[in-house]
Amino acid sequence: MLYLTATLQSLFSTLRQSLKKPTTVEYPKVVRPRAPRLRASFALTKDAAGDENCIGCKKCEKVCPSEVIALTTVKKPSPITGKSRGYASDFTLNLQGCIICELCVQVCPTDAIVMVQDQEKPGFSREDLVLTMDKLYDNGEKKLRLSWANASVLAEHQNPERKHA
Amino acid sequence: MGHLIANAWLRGLVHGALLITVLMTAVAWISWFERKFAARVQSRLGPTMVGPAGLLQPIADAFKMFQKEDIIPRGADSLLFRLAPPLTLFLSLATAAVLPIMPGMLASDLDIGVLYALAFSGLLAFPIWVAGWSSANKYALLGGMRMVAQGISYEIPMVLCALVPVVVTGSLSLSEIVKYQAAHHWLVFWPPGIGVIAFVLFFTTALAESNRIPFDIPEAESELVAGPTTEYTAIRFGLFASAEYAHSVVSCALASALFLGGWDGPVLPPSVWMLLKTAALFVIVTWVRWSLLRLRSDQLMALCWKYLVPVSLALVLGAGAWVYVVG
Repeated sequence: MLYLTATLQSLFSTLRQSLKKPTTVEYPKVVRPRAPRLRASFALTKDAAGDENCIGCKKCEKVCPSEVIALTTVKKPSPITGKSRGYASDFTLNLQGCIICELCVQVCPTDAIVMVQDQEKPGFSREDLVLTMDKLYDNGEKKLRLSWANASVLAEHQNPERKHA
Repeated sequence: MGHLIANAWLRGLVHGALLITVLMTAVAWISWFERKFAARVQSRLGPTMVGPAGLLQPIADAFKMFQKEDIIPRGADSLLFRLAPPLTLFLSLATAAVLPIMPGMLASDLDIGVLYALAFSGLLAFPIWVAGWSSANKYALLGGMRMVAQGISYEIPMVLCALVPVVVTGSLSLSEIVKYQAAHHWLVFWPPGIGVIAFVLFFTTALAESNRIPFDIPEAESELVAGPTTEYTAIRFGLFASAEYAHSVVSCALASALFLGGWDGPVLPPSVWMLLKTAALFVIVTWVRWSLLRLRSDQLMALCWKYLVPVSLALVLGAGAWVYVVG
């Protein structure tokens, strides 16, 4: 008897389920909106005048838990303003070991490094997964969808106020 | 007899070819329907890419089956291994010979049609056992043994339930049974009560005979890989799969001929009614498949011998009494 009622119950539940709209969507045709805090890849930004935001402070390199960021610093006059300040002469971020923890974005004093929602395209070699400085600045110029967080947004959510912003 | 084609040999040939064509086409798109239905039950989309709504998927599947490598395992009984799949399909399709599609249209109007259909349906355990035995594989062997055990057990209540219409109509010919139903009552309602139970039990045992879930212990994916068909590849496996579907469809058609009045129905032409009833029953078969769990081996036997056999015996007795008293 128990088996009979259970049978009827399961028949009813599958019937009800089969009349509902399927949850699955066909991905390339239908793209679901991405979560605002989705983090997929990185970009380096420039300011409104076109000057690089990165000052080569190496905070990101130091905080990176998987040590995939490497940058070298150089002090030179700005091509835009002419004032002398720090720049990154080389910046690489190796996505092979990146754990997408966003710590580099959180510590950046100038909002230079940000995360984007667009994934890097898959490649055939390991080198394709290494984001060089050119690729990072390209990502910054490509108007990719930015992740919700950058250093100043996160700073607004925190107390006390940061010194630089 | 009022057949469309007078010569019996020609009639058999033409109707047989027609039936096989219709059945195999139906089997192809039934597999599409089953995948679609399963997908909806599980909140998925199912086949969508090949043709509109994935309707050409069965053709793509068939091509795939033909292209795959045909493997006969070392140590297998080669002759029997090759013989089993076509034999299974043959027996599944052979049952359809006595199905009355519409008045005057059936491949072979045997006066022992019911017996013939049940005999061939019962024989189906045999080629599957052959497949299990010849594969030289323990899963296949176990599956084959389970198939024999299940087939023999469920044959008994199935035959007993099929006896109810035979007792009521006094004929073993399927076309006579359908004609009786067209003239009097559908046997699912007649004798009142007995007919319904006989129909439900017949349908259940037919599910078991065509080893569909919840009675698919011969195949039992979680225990026996794929049961008797474990070692089969390519089109040989495809033959088994289509034979299973064909058997299900033929069982549904048999159930609708025995209990649901066959081609009898208002407005629409008779052949459409027969198709509609069969299709409706097959929808239920699919629905049941994606709703229920597999019975354990001992539960299966207990259900058959402790419940189905006594109840169906009582049904035959009841039908006999009904005929004796009411007439």
